[in-house]
Amino acid sequence: MSALESLREALRLLRAQPLRSLLTLFGLVWGTAAVIFLLSWGTGLSTMLDTAFQRAGKNLVQTWPGRISEDFSPAVDRRWLWYTPADVTALRQRVRESDLVAGETRTHAPVAFRGRALSLEVRGVEPDGETIRGVPLASGRLVSHEDVEHRRRVLVIGQRARERLLGAEGRVGSWVRLDGTPFQVVGVLARVGTQLSRDGAEIDDQAWIPLSVHLALFPNPYLDEQMLNTILAHAKDRKRIDAAESEMRRVLAERLGVRADDEEAVPIFSPVQMLKRIPIDQQNGLNLIIAITTLLVGGIGILAMMLDSVQERRAEIGVRLALGARRRDVLLQFLWEGVAIVAIGGALGVAFGAGGALFLASDVFRGRIPPALRDLVPIPELSGAMVLLAVLAMGVVAIAAGVAPAWSAARIDPAETLRVD
Amino acid sequence: MSAASHEPAIRLRDVEKRYAIGSGEVHALRGLDLEVARGEYVSVMGPSGSGKSTLLEILGCLSRPSAGRYWLNGVAVDGVDADGLAKLRGEAIGFVFQAFNLLPRMTLLENVALPLLYRGVPRAVRHERALGALARVSLEHRAAHRPGETSGGERQRAAIARALVNRPSLLLADEPTGNLDSAHGREILALLEGIHGDGATVVIVTHDPSIGARTPRRIAIRDGKIESDQRGAASGPEGRAQRGGAERSEES
Repeated sequence: MSALESLREALRLLRAQPLRSLLTLFGLVWGTAAVIFLLSWGTGLSTMLDTAFQRAGKNLVQTWPGRISEDFSPAVDRRWLWYTPADVTALRQRVRESDLVAGETRTHAPVAFRGRALSLEVRGVEPDGETIRGVPLASGRLVSHEDVEHRRRVLVIGQRARERLLGAEGRVGSWVRLDGTPFQVVGVLARVGTQLSRDGAEIDDQAWIPLSVHLALFPNPYLDEQMLNTILAHAKDRKRIDAAESEMRRVLAERLGVRADDEEAVPIFSPVQMLKRIPIDQQNGLNLIIAITTLLVGGIGILAMMLDSVQERRAEIGVRLALGARRRDVLLQFLWEGVAIVAIGGALGVAFGAGGALFLASDVFRGRIPPALRDLVPIPELSGAMVLLAVLAMGVVAIAAGVAPAWSAARIDPAETLRVD
Repeated sequence: MSAASHEPAIRLRDVEKRYAIGSGEVHALRGLDLEVARGEYVSVMGPSGSGKSTLLEILGCLSRPSAGRYWLNGVAVDGVDADGLAKLRGEAIGFVFQAFNLLPRMTLLENVALPLLYRGVPRAVRHERALGALARVSLEHRAAHRPGETSGGERQRAAIARALVNRPSLLLADEPTGNLDSAHGREILALLEGIHGDGATVVIVTHDPSIGARTPRRIAIRDGKIESDQRGAASGPEGRAQRGGAERSEES
């Protein structure tokens, strides 16, 4: 019997038992589709979290002023610490794991444009800080070294703040009043999107002015010293963020005269470290377990079908052997049944799984998500490897499940299989 | 079939068959010698457990003897490998079973065509020859029906068509009328006699003396050995093959 005849025979037998074939097919389709969908969703989720956590800045390491944590001193007596531009200079010189360091100040201030006024989060920034934030421009330019040096009253505005403050008529070149002082808008930032890690308002709602101008406009009311709200650093290597952190901590502790292991005195934070604390790998592991379980269930479906069909068809195997079938013919027939159903189910499963993933990634679907949530809905990411994995796993299960029992039935004397009934 | 035609269709020498059942062993055949010439029409009778079904399985190459030798048309079967046996079953032997053993999910036509499938006959030819075989048993109008949609007699006729489709030289029937009423049984027997008339060797295993009475040669088997082997007309009260059984003569 030729392979073609054998395949035809297998297909005919699948058609002859439509319900059983359909149920098996369903398990297969579901298993394959679920694996592909879950894995691509998981990958998309990782990417989404990574992106959303790093919108405040890639490889960002950030520190805020802290306070000395000495157990024996009453809380009210604890000394408050603060950073000055000199600390930024020291970090620039001494921290090797970081290539960019910048100070930042922030305050809330009323900003007015043609009779419209808003309270915006206004930040004093330096060009290095802007580079660390890494926000592209929608139009205009960023705050430059010259702006900082010459204390120019220029302002770069976040996307959402622009919409709310400037509306349709405002653009680069427009003048606004910041706490009564006129500033010229020189740049508009592109939309950043939802930040899962942020220090204050989202960048989309901020307005940036030169750090020097900010320090002059909003001086420290208590001390005759320039106080920074935060220091930003960019770690050269994402994998060495820990090292960058401890280097910064050592330098700052030394400068502040506190113990280097006092994490409350020098609070350092980085979104990547935060991200590590989210059990995303476990989540993906869980997805994988669910996917494999689903595959197994599909496989068991096939196994059940094949076992059933061998048990039920022991007599049939006997009859076929009596009519001149070789063992190989019988095996091939079962093999083809498995292969045919895996091919059909696998193809449908891939179509549904990949189709579902592609649909969720499509503009049609993305457009229907409310803008506020859009950045937090993962875009499924398909990979050929996971499709292959799903199909291979199903294929191996189905073929093993199909052939093994048939093998045992075809090995014994045909007389024995015939005598069963 | 390549062997010389003067060789008998069947030659058994000292054949034994043992089965392991649990811890014990069943000795189904105990040193059995038998020769059946080509074109003979033979019935094998015996009570259940006598070994007659085992004998038929060995004759049909469905199982191998534990000891002894078997020549089919002059070919020593013990020297043939599993694929060779499959070929013998497919081409030289036709089977008719008590339970018909048609495959339920196939039409009668597909069932009848099955031996041709394994022989590698092209599709169109299979179809044609299967229809021819069905016509021989007057079932061509039922070709597209499944076994479940036909009567017992029709099923057995289809099974006979299946056995005939490869024009085997040896036809083996195991209680072919066991599941049928007497009218259908007679129909089946008439078909088997017709096949014998066409030159095939036919061996029927049965426990029904009235069938045995219709065959020119009757072998009685008991406890795995041949008890008697009679030739010639045996109808009437002379039937010595019947041991203690009621003399049922339903035949016309």
